[in-house]
Amino acid sequence: MASNAAVPFWRAAGMTYITYSNICANLVRNCLKEPYKTEALSRERVHFSISKWTDGKPEKPTIRSDSPAE
Amino acid sequence: MVIVPATTGQMGAELKPGVLSVHEGNETSKYFVSSGFVFIHANSFADIIAVEALPLHQIDANLVQKGLAEFTQKLSSATTDLEKAKAQIGIDVHSAFNSALTG
Repeated sequence: MASNAAVPFWRAAGMTYITYSNICANLVRNCLKEPYKTEALSRERVHFSISKWTDGKPEKPTIRSDSPAE
Repeated sequence: MVIVPATTGQMGAELKPGVLSVHEGNETSKYFVSSGFVFIHANSFADIIAVEALPLHQIDANLVQKGLAEFTQKLSSATTDLEKAKAQIGIDVHSAFNSALTG
């Protein structure tokens, strides 16, 4: 297997590629002209429901609608 | 990251923010890619998976300059490794934008 040069700075700081990729995507979307910017920011919104499980049963679910930038 | 299996000649890599140019005959289209992966097959076909890919004309140069100044400032005031990494990513992305706009 080929070995790489030094580890990238973000991985050395404990970040995974997926976190790096999401941060990059968010920064890129923020530098767009309108109307592309509003379209792009709508791609970033997530909406999901979570329920914790204890003793084999789900507890009451919580709904989260996270907006971008964590 | 590079994947190089011994027999078939496939290749792949992770992408960083920058310009991707597609050459078709005499025409070239350029896209700014935020990050992603490229996978080159044995028959020379390449798959590009990008989180965000946009034509260069959609970039707002003023926002790029503001962002670069903001993240340069954040890097100097960052304390933890993670904050420094995030600020450095900001600088890298905005510098890549700058090269894309001027290059």
